[in-house]
Amino acid sequence: MKISKYIKIFSLLILAGLIGCTKLTESYKTTIPASQAASVLTANLLLTKAYNDIPAPFVGQDEVFSLEENSTDESLVPTRGGDWDDNGVWRVIHNHTWNADHSQVLNVFNNLNSMSYDATNVLVQTFGASKEQIAEARVLRAIALYYLLDIYNQFPFRNPGDTLLNAPKVYVGSAGIDFIISELTTALPDLDPANGKTKISQDATKVLLMRCYLNRGAYANRATPTFSDADMQQVITLGNSIITGGKYSYMANYFGNFNFSNSGSSEAIFIYPSSSGLTVNNPGMQARWMMGYHYNEYDGQAPNAGWNGFSTTSDFYNSFSLGGTTNYSFNDTVIDSRIGRRVSSDATLTANSGIRAGFMIGQQVDQNNVNLKDRKGNPLAFDPNIAPTMIETGTNLEVTGIRVTKYVPDFSNAGGSYYSSNPGNSLMFMRYPEVVLMVAEAYMRESAPDNASALALVNGLRSARGASTLASLPLGPSPNANSLVDDPNSLLAERGRELYWESFRRTDLIRFGVFLTLWQYKPTDDPKYLLFPIPNQSLGVNPNLTQNPGY
Amino acid sequence: MTIKRLLQRISFLLVCVCLTQLVFSQTKVITGTVTDDKGAPVQGASVAVRGTKGGTTTDANGAFSLTVAASAKSIIISSVGFSQQEISITDKTSLTVALVSNSQALNDVVITGYTTVRRKDATGSMTVVSAKDFNQGVITSPDQLLANKVSGLEVTTNSGQPGSATTVRIRGNSSVRGLGNPLYVIDGIILDGRNARPSVNLGIGGFGQTPDANPLLFIDPYSILSINILKDAAATAIYGSRGANGVIEMTTRTGSSGAVKLEANASVGYNSGYMKKYDILSEGGFLSALTKYNLDTLSGTKNLNKGSSVDPMKDITWSKAIQNYDVALSGGNENGKFRASFLASSTPGLIKNNQLNKYIGSFSGSYKFLDKRLTVDFSVIDGYNTENIVLVSNTAGSQGNLISSALQWNPTASYYNADGSFTNLGNGTPNPLMLLKAYNDIANVNTVLGNISASFKILNNLVYKFQYSINQSDGVRNTNVDGFVRGLNPIDGNGLGIISAAGLTSQVFDNTLSYNTNLTPDLKFSALGGFEYWKSNFNNSSTGAQTFNFNLNELQLSTAQYTDIIQNGKTVIPPNVFKDITTEIQSYFAIADFNFKDKYFLKGTFRADGSSKFGANNKYAYFPSVGAKWNIANEDFMRDNNVFSGLSLRATWGITGSQDFPAGASIDQYSYFSYGSAGQINAGNPNLKWEQTAQYDFGLDFSLLKGRVNGTIDYYNKDKTNILFQGIVIQPAPPGATVWFNLPGHLINKGFEISVSATIVEHKDFSWDLSANFATNNNLITNFYNPGSKNPIAIYTGQINGQGVSGTLAQIITNNQPVDEFWLKPFQGFDQKGNQIIGANPQFAGNPNPKTLFGVSTTLRYKKLSLNINGGGSSGFLIYNNTATSVTNISGITSGRNIDQNAFNSAEQPSSGVGASTRFLEDGSYFKLRNASLTYSFGNIGNYLKNLNVFVSGTNLFVITGFSGFDPEVNIDKSNSGYPSSSIEYIPYPTPKSYVVGVNFAL
Repeated sequence: MKISKYIKIFSLLILAGLIGCTKLTESYKTTIPASQAASVLTANLLLTKAYNDIPAPFVGQDEVFSLEENSTDESLVPTRGGDWDDNGVWRVIHNHTWNADHSQVLNVFNNLNSMSYDATNVLVQTFGASKEQIAEARVLRAIALYYLLDIYNQFPFRNPGDTLLNAPKVYVGSAGIDFIISELTTALPDLDPANGKTKISQDATKVLLMRCYLNRGAYANRATPTFSDADMQQVITLGNSIITGGKYSYMANYFGNFNFSNSGSSEAIFIYPSSSGLTVNNPGMQARWMMGYHYNEYDGQAPNAGWNGFSTTSDFYNSFSLGGTTNYSFNDTVIDSRIGRRVSSDATLTANSGIRAGFMIGQQVDQNNVNLKDRKGNPLAFDPNIAPTMIETGTNLEVTGIRVTKYVPDFSNAGGSYYSSNPGNSLMFMRYPEVVLMVAEAYMRESAPDNASALALVNGLRSARGASTLASLPLGPSPNANSLVDDPNSLLAERGRELYWESFRRTDLIRFGVFLTLWQYKPTDDPKYLLFPIPNQSLGVNPNLTQNPGY
Repeated sequence: MTIKRLLQRISFLLVCVCLTQLVFSQTKVITGTVTDDKGAPVQGASVAVRGTKGGTTTDANGAFSLTVAASAKSIIISSVGFSQQEISITDKTSLTVALVSNSQALNDVVITGYTTVRRKDATGSMTVVSAKDFNQGVITSPDQLLANKVSGLEVTTNSGQPGSATTVRIRGNSSVRGLGNPLYVIDGIILDGRNARPSVNLGIGGFGQTPDANPLLFIDPYSILSINILKDAAATAIYGSRGANGVIEMTTRTGSSGAVKLEANASVGYNSGYMKKYDILSEGGFLSALTKYNLDTLSGTKNLNKGSSVDPMKDITWSKAIQNYDVALSGGNENGKFRASFLASSTPGLIKNNQLNKYIGSFSGSYKFLDKRLTVDFSVIDGYNTENIVLVSNTAGSQGNLISSALQWNPTASYYNADGSFTNLGNGTPNPLMLLKAYNDIANVNTVLGNISASFKILNNLVYKFQYSINQSDGVRNTNVDGFVRGLNPIDGNGLGIISAAGLTSQVFDNTLSYNTNLTPDLKFSALGGFEYWKSNFNNSSTGAQTFNFNLNELQLSTAQYTDIIQNGKTVIPPNVFKDITTEIQSYFAIADFNFKDKYFLKGTFRADGSSKFGANNKYAYFPSVGAKWNIANEDFMRDNNVFSGLSLRATWGITGSQDFPAGASIDQYSYFSYGSAGQINAGNPNLKWEQTAQYDFGLDFSLLKGRVNGTIDYYNKDKTNILFQGIVIQPAPPGATVWFNLPGHLINKGFEISVSATIVEHKDFSWDLSANFATNNNLITNFYNPGSKNPIAIYTGQINGQGVSGTLAQIITNNQPVDEFWLKPFQGFDQKGNQIIGANPQFAGNPNPKTLFGVSTTLRYKKLSLNINGGGSSGFLIYNNTATSVTNISGITSGRNIDQNAFNSAEQPSSGVGASTRFLEDGSYFKLRNASLTYSFGNIGNYLKNLNVFVSGTNLFVITGFSGFDPEVNIDKSNSGYPSSSIEYIPYPTPKSYVVGVNFAL
């Protein structure tokens, strides 16, 4: 029967159509949906992620380093003809005219918050983190929160497992620092005393706690900081427990803290590790020297030896001149080794290039002591004088500004990877001398200052650095000093001499009450620049954030 | 409706049909010949009695014979490219019919949106471009066939490199996100729109991202019969959640009944230099610049006058034969037809070593069974292309790319040292010939599109059809940069090899049921219902190494590439694998069509789309459309008018969608990372849904002077809401996390479109056809606020690259501005020292989206010789010249880099800082002569050689523009965090001018 045959075929076809129906659930390959994550992922993987978030905000020259250093007398980036204008981002940081649309202000905010988020994720219960893992995660998060508070005076905070679509609450000022202190205090006893320098250890936690206590008075009122004896006593107690613990000692070679083998430094308390020539886990520290080096600095890589940008001010350089001259030569015997230049040498470095660690002034040479030239054929001789506007237009525009080698280029790999993408330099995050200097400062900030104990600590450090011991050292700069921030005769200057280009300077200048004074290439200022603004982009999506005053 | 009830109704209808068939008892035979207007026989014309399916087709001599019912009054004769004719057969048994060629093809039957409509009945705004109107000359992908051919369609070639991607916009820039390209449908198969040529981002060495490949390369442009451009919602809403950017439907050629036919095309040509040059200093100009800026005093190795004379822009080009061969065989009878074709082409680019070779084979057939009730169609296309890619990246940093190295190269410096090694000037500009030699990048992509469908006539007016198709594409790419490159850290002395692979699989499964009937003698009704399932997978992976032991010295090269012996690399780049989440879309759709007396037309469509990408709270989306048309010319009162041979009014409204966001965006996801870690990667939004575009359109179609003048005028207004937006994730959030929202703002595109074509002269020996199109567009974002706030959203995009401008963004997407409005600091002239002065604060600086588009084409024929010219352009927009900002700026001269003439002529001095500003915004308006062809038609020669044509054709012959760069038709991908940019030029692959000569014929 013809019709029934058609009907049969037709029914079959309809059936075929219905088979195609699907529930439209997504199938995952590269990624894991949150619903499966708890059963698939382990807390260890998430904790490693939180550690691996450290390089993003702390390594690049345009991240925390830029906000904490370029905003001070220690560092600046002059525009050199066609180079380093970058829409003016560098100059406005140094001369305190930045605004809430600044790309670095945004990137730092996001990168620190991401570290906070990834660390918080370790605490989500379903991942089953151990007590130790939880403690490490809390301290990692506290590091991120500490820098957020230091830079922006506020930080948003999510509880583990919060949906990302909701605006989180915000901690501001003193409430923020109190929260960070309570987090660190809670985590401290849970940490394994055997943790080494590449892990969050009890000592690393103590260093961060010391920073919190030392700066608590400044965070409460950055314009006129006051310091409580209780906080200072905490700094002293915590610091002394590290000092008497005997785990750390001064390096004979100051720049050994920053070279390719610095993971073996006896001063290192917390580092982010790296290995020469390996891409695995390599944070890419080469930016920290390439950012300043002239294109022709190392002739083996000219004209790509550096980016010819970052410099320091001559006033800061002169703060090494404690009652003497900075015009050091090879013949000097007693000299502060931290100034580097001709006095410091590093066998690997010298054999491969003419580069000397430390401050770089005057004629630069290659490994055979032959004078280097700039791209126009003029002598490559760094000139301390920078144009007042920080915009170089003269014929010497390539060579203005004193350059700095803090991290030492990695020439360990003679095969040729030199200092390029995968240097072995670890990120030196916390270092023993900081502990010593914090304890010394706390002694001096007590209502009954113990200047003798402080001086003993400082002189111990200075001796280790080959510098002369001092009979006395005031806490802050003398009001009569030519440049307030760069008075060599103060504990602030000693911190500068030891810790320059390690991202401490802005916090120090604020704590010492001199951040708003004028310095080289910063002709004016305004109290609002004690804080960086909340990035407009972040402000737009989280109504709980309040813009800092004046922006 | 239950199936049972449906079957009951069908059975009833079947009975009715059987009864009506009894009426046809007496028959007669009609014979005849069909010719064209010049008397040549037309093969394959279809001949049928009005109101019936079936019929027959003409043979090679144009002859036919058809048995019809004695009562039949007239027959209809139609053939592609000719007006359909209805001939009375009352009292006739033999006829000769001369068909009239119809350039407007107003009567063509068009396959569109799951159904077939008569062109003149279409209610929606649709432009059909048939093969004879395509652009000619050097064509590597089908979208190039359409440039300037359709009002409101903007086809921008992103690069002068053959086979590169194009930006296609229908009715303006309608996306703040993603490409905004239209949906491509080929023979009813919805394509994915991506392609499997692996993308490579050479972050190592700072070379940046190389431009994307065209996803349509596997389609043989010669095998396309016609292309429909669907513009308004009545035409596109049937494609639902993917139709919002417009739809481009391609129909490929099929076999026709009659003797087996062979058609062949062959052409050979060459590139003859740049369509337009970028004005940099010559050797002489360079020397006077050294004098002008006091740089002629340096001596020894620092002397910037190197004493030689070269033209790098010329020396990086080559002239190699462009070749194209295409053969097709087709044939069939009334029960079955087939077509097989093969294309082999070799298209060298203007730049040395750059070449695209394509091999495309296709086979299709259509066979009828069960008394012609069952039709089975199938087709297979296999396209294989192999590409030799050169280093012309979009986002090169301070080290630039091949083009920047040629622009900057000191024109007084020789490329080679005395020992034959490459000169290294040490000024940061790599030797362009060294880059050419050291960079070796080969991509092979194989794409198969297979398709089978069966359509079954349950009743004469009730047809069921199912279709299954699979599109599988696999690509492999080997990228090598030899270690002998000097000065390019860290490749210098080490070498770099990257092997990458990509795969794309998409499948479509369709079921449709269509029905048509006469509800009353005057009211025709047709309807279609369907189900479709679509699924797509995409993956991309790469692995690489550095630090090799060979090819480190250009004088001692081995033939092996690093990617041949990648295990030799000492430093392994961590492998990277990306697999997209499978995307599934499941749809139900329906179409209803009413036609009252051929005067009043009403069409409604509806589609429900469920997508795996949508959030849990919005799994299904619904897209309606309605269109009405009044065919005034068929009204009685128009019967006696001598002016209009056609006149109709259209009004349509509808909603379409876009789901241009990544799969997985609706839920929280975690991922494993390198270095033994894992973490969350995004902020899932369960409320995420499609972007919705409501569009209305009013159109007027007219035909004057017996069809010698035809035209269309449309006004449209597209309002996009629920704007898909990659939002700012609320911190704290995972690193680089993305979150997707639908924002309540509006993105509005509105404008007019006019197209007119006319046969100005029509004479036996001489004819002149002219057609032109013109479109305006106004693009504006309104109510663009963050949810629950009155602060306008501002998204910055448009990366400006190069030394001294790192991190600069030149465009903004924000409220009350067009998409990608320029946002730049104002240029305020030069100070006394010749330094440029740039204002402190960026401001709105102009629109990168063209306000008007226009195209023109004309054909002049004298006897057997015809000249065809196609051209067009756009106006009312600005281009940012990033090349002038950071590549050929004046500061380069101090280190012996060449600079551009504009910089040299200005008051600027070499000490002037580099900065992005309004200084580098230029008017982008242009007119381009895309191609001109001169053809001599020999017609038939002897008994075998048919339709022989010989032609010479030129492509990109000239451009008229004030823009100083290579090509004002430019869209370098300068997107930022996935937000697209518009109209920024940066060291692009220059557009060549080319000529081909060719022949085509049939056997």
